[in-house]
Amino acid sequence: MALSLDPALAIALRTGLALLFAAAAAHKLRDFGAFRDALEGYRLLPPRALGLFACGLIAAELATAGALVLSEQGGPAAAALLGLYSAAIALNLARGLREIDCGCFGPALRQPLSLALVLRNLGLISLAGVCALQVGSRALAPLDALTIAAGVALGALVHGAVNGLIANAPRLRALRGA
Amino acid sequence: MMEQALYVSNALLWIAVLALAALVFALVRQIGVLYERVAPAGALMLAGGPKVGEAAPRFALDDVFGRATTLGGDDPERRQTLLLFVSPTCPVCKTLLPVAKSLAAREPRPRLVFASDGQEDHVAFVRKHALDAYPYVVSTELGLAHQVGKLPHAVLWDARGIVRAKGLVNSREHLESLFEAMDRGVASIQEYVSRAGGSR
Repeated sequence: MALSLDPALAIALRTGLALLFAAAAAHKLRDFGAFRDALEGYRLLPPRALGLFACGLIAAELATAGALVLSEQGGPAAAALLGLYSAAIALNLARGLREIDCGCFGPALRQPLSLALVLRNLGLISLAGVCALQVGSRALAPLDALTIAAGVALGALVHGAVNGLIANAPRLRALRGA
Repeated sequence: MMEQALYVSNALLWIAVLALAALVFALVRQIGVLYERVAPAGALMLAGGPKVGEAAPRFALDDVFGRATTLGGDDPERRQTLLLFVSPTCPVCKTLLPVAKSLAAREPRPRLVFASDGQEDHVAFVRKHALDAYPYVVSTELGLAHQVGKLPHAVLWDARGIVRAKGLVNSREHLESLFEAMDRGVASIQEYVSRAGGSR
């Protein structure tokens, strides 16, 4: 028997990831200037390409969110996008440029780059990978509605808490060093 | 019967898990707020360069538009000088430029001087951010004299050219803390906080 994913889990995963990408695109759109500045800080692109690339990323995030909800092709797209972000962070960590704003959670949670961000993204990539598994066929029962809704809410809360902890880490370090 | 019991148990567990997750989330948020309140709001002082209480090194430089700019020593107009080290390639610097301008417009109107180095297009940077009204000097020696490691770095000295406050400034609060430190006669807000903490 091939490894297959329970349909309720698949729906919860895809909905959760879609919400994640929609929220990411929303905070980038809300403060486009800050996102563009953060992108510039990564020093990976020529200044002229920044605006276009920033728009492209937002469009890609929205398209990924849509694909996750509407089709079964969203998983690989989500993994690819997260992989791209992780590579950009890892590259700058490797060349010692960590004191730049990561631009990950919008201007409210400004923070430097860290290995924790890469690990968080790897976790999300593995979830996106699970999405790409063959979905088993099973008639959905009423209880599945609870599983899906509660699962998505749990994912959002845990993701928010992890982000908060990652954002707090440099502040804690600053306090200890002071 | 058994199935119904499982339904109830499952629903109850979900509620419990969600409640706990919400608690964890709320705790993390609260810790974040605490860090913001507790962390020293002052500019981070780095070792090196002229210390607070010492004279700022004297420089006579031409700025990017060829205007003669003297730094250090007695100011003929009895103004304080805020020297802000920036770079066109530093994103935080850009967010700080309007803040520095607004502080320079505040009484007693300190003299605001921007400093940078490197081969970037400084004139385009000055034009883009409307810094024409302030001297903008490009000098590696000036940065070395103040031992600027990280940007944006600010140094504030009084009318007699004595350094009153300095440090790495990342926000409006940091920049304002320099003036605050000068007014209170302490080297840095961190020193002020630790003094206050000692007497508590």
